[in-house]
Amino acid sequence: MTDLTKGRGERGAGWEPRIVAFLCNWCSYAGADLAGVSRIQYPPNVRVIRVPCSGRINPLFIVKALQSGMDGVLVSGCHPGDCHYISGNLYARRKFALMKSLLEYVGIEPERVHFAWVSAAEGIRFAELLLGVIETVREIGPATRMIKEIETVR
Amino acid sequence: MSEIQEQLRRRVAELLREGTVDLFIGYADASVPLKSSVHVARSAQDAEALVWNACCTSNLAALLPDLLKRPSGFRGEWTPPRVGVVAKGCVSRSIVGLIKAHQIPRDAMYIIGVSCGGMVDRHRASRLLGPAELVEAEFLKGDRLRLRATNGLEREVDLAEVLLGGCRECGHHNAVLADESIGDPIPPDDDIARFADVQAFAERPIEERWQSFQEEVSRCIRCYACREACPNCYCTECFAQETAPQWIGVTTDLSDLMLFHIGRAFHQAGRCVDCGACVAACPQGIDLRLLNQKVNHDVKSLFGGDVGASLDEPEPLMRFEMTDDEGFMTEP
Amino acid sequence: MNELILGKTDLATFLSTLARERRLIAPLDDRTGASFGVVGDVAKVRLDYRNTSLSAKGVVFPQTETLLAFRDGGGTERIPEAPETVLFGVRPCDARSLTMLDKVFRWDGTEDPYYLERRGRTTVVALACNEPGPTCFCTSVGGSPGDETGADVLATDLGDALLLRAVTDRGEVLLRGAGDAARPAAAAAAAKARELAAKAEGRLTPVTIPTDAEGLVEAFEADVWSDLALGCLGCGACTYSCPTCHCFDITDEGRKGAGRRVRSWDTCSFPLFTLHSSGHNPRPTKGARLRQRILHKFSYCPENFGEAFCVGCGRCIVNCPSGIDIRRILERLVETTSKAGGSV
Repeated sequence: MTDLTKGRGERGAGWEPRIVAFLCNWCSYAGADLAGVSRIQYPPNVRVIRVPCSGRINPLFIVKALQSGMDGVLVSGCHPGDCHYISGNLYARRKFALMKSLLEYVGIEPERVHFAWVSAAEGIRFAELLLGVIETVREIGPATRMIKEIETVR
Repeated sequence: MSEIQEQLRRRVAELLREGTVDLFIGYADASVPLKSSVHVARSAQDAEALVWNACCTSNLAALLPDLLKRPSGFRGEWTPPRVGVVAKGCVSRSIVGLIKAHQIPRDAMYIIGVSCGGMVDRHRASRLLGPAELVEAEFLKGDRLRLRATNGLEREVDLAEVLLGGCRECGHHNAVLADESIGDPIPPDDDIARFADVQAFAERPIEERWQSFQEEVSRCIRCYACREACPNCYCTECFAQETAPQWIGVTTDLSDLMLFHIGRAFHQAGRCVDCGACVAACPQGIDLRLLNQKVNHDVKSLFGGDVGASLDEPEPLMRFEMTDDEGFMTEP
Repeated sequence: MNELILGKTDLATFLSTLARERRLIAPLDDRTGASFGVVGDVAKVRLDYRNTSLSAKGVVFPQTETLLAFRDGGGTERIPEAPETVLFGVRPCDARSLTMLDKVFRWDGTEDPYYLERRGRTTVVALACNEPGPTCFCTSVGGSPGDETGADVLATDLGDALLLRAVTDRGEVLLRGAGDAARPAAAAAAAKARELAAKAEGRLTPVTIPTDAEGLVEAFEADVWSDLALGCLGCGACTYSCPTCHCFDITDEGRKGAGRRVRSWDTCSFPLFTLHSSGHNPRPTKGARLRQRILHKFSYCPENFGEAFCVGCGRCIVNCPSGIDIRRILERLVETTSKAGGSV
């Protein structure tokens, strides 16, 4: 099995998509946690970064994740109207819409960047969402665009 | 044009003599054709050097925060100087934006609005002369421009052919905020297809867009002329130069160049007035509007609004609607 | 083998011969006019340009250069093995600027191996100017349109042919390898080249340059700087296009298991340039930063290296978004200091 902690992927030879998920603490992270305690299985391709609110997410996090070589990025928060901080996700929704559109425009495959609203009660839905994202990214293969190369000397 | 120029010089001299302003920021001739220099007039005599023509590409609003803010290390009560500025449509909209962002106090400024028919893109004009270098440019009656090259080659063109991209799509020829105005107001053009470039680019296959994007940003030398020329870039520490933690490298690696331009374009969202100062400032002739106009287009179509038109309307990213679009989401 | 004539029709062959064994860098067509790049197709080389928007210093002093890189624990200092390079078609001002950079990167016993490795493998073929532009002022700073300083070979465009004159041994080696494309030049060709250079010199408008380094320092506290800098945006357009500016920053980049130390161009025009981690900035204003740039070039470098670090190429004038003209600044300084009783 490919070691998910080392290096970037090459299609074939047991490559596994590496995906980072920014989850808001109160809804999406709790939803992920519910999937866990309910023993709902989903693959280990996703690294979770917990944030207080989807509104905390600087859209540059998404771009930086891609620069670091992540094959996919998922951002998930509370459903509009349910934000623990009232309106964080509502501001975030506008920012995410713009960044998603801009990234696709410059040529980043739209299948790499995903947004969702998942509530604390939606453990099954969270697992299904992740499965979907992993398969979508698997289909388009390892990320090759925008990656910053620092291991080699030119 | 020259009528506005004469009136401007007269008015500025008066304002300085009366003491209505301590200094006045405007444009003067530069040493290079189709360029203007930033000029500060402190006396009636200084006002004589002010010009108003189709070379006034800088967005003077970018200079206001520095002039009006408390100097570093200053102790005690700070009263900003009274600063006068000549503002074409886009400059006045930038001023509105800066006031809303609490970067400049309205009452420390005296704005002379001017109606503007558009500014020349000197890179575009130079290219009409082929490999030879532009050595002289002369404005002719009837909105024409005569260009002369180092090898003697001459060409006459319509101004409309060589205007900056933003000027060709301008929706605000006149100042939206001013203490007084010079020049007959220019009515808006109703039938301009805005964002046509952006839509054309978006329709190309993704592989082509990726190639074009790389080609365009690979020219960047991280001089930040675009950023400094922009009134919206008033951050004392730009994300591009943060080192603790570091968002992007300070290098000219393609990845860093891409992130810088994506980041800067994104940070403009809802605030860019399409003045073209960034394009005019770039020594490498990068088509920055390729990105800025994309963001402007998305903001307009998703959230509406008219950037910099009103002091009362909050910026698009400072507000939200419950019905905001979720078409971009995988699982809304 | 000192002087050769190369017909323009044979230029492509000559360049191809050079490119066979070396990396050939020459002016290529670019949306800004012409720009130095590695030559693939020799037909794309342009000699009919005045000057490039960016200087050629990136050939020996790249804007981004990895000093060392490591992976999982081992560190290596990497001096690049630079390819043998011919820098073809630089103007005499740019060729001269390389000799100034040489003084910085080999100074007082300290040598920069990265710069010297690239520099040592670069042969410079300068192209004399027949038609200086309105922003050129090389003669005011000790250069000239036909100057050989810094060139291994000086080429002059005689119309239908290039006169190639070897200036150094390295240049002779280059010309010897030119094959049959060029033939020995007659005396008339050299005379024509001198005539063209003299004519070109005559087209340059002299600029008053402060020559007294100490006198300039007297202008340090003058009020003139803040007004001169008012339009300055604090960008790097002037510095990054300047052939003699050489300041750099060193940053470390890393992620789990890998990292590198990289050198990048920097400019004293950025407010961040002298910002201390305490928050104090000894150059807090644009006026202070402009003063630094001018004094560094026209006062401190003459003190340290014996010459002003300006070759009069005029790129800073062409590229400044605010239309600032260094010549006007220098004239104003001469005026200010002489009014105050000093002299420059």
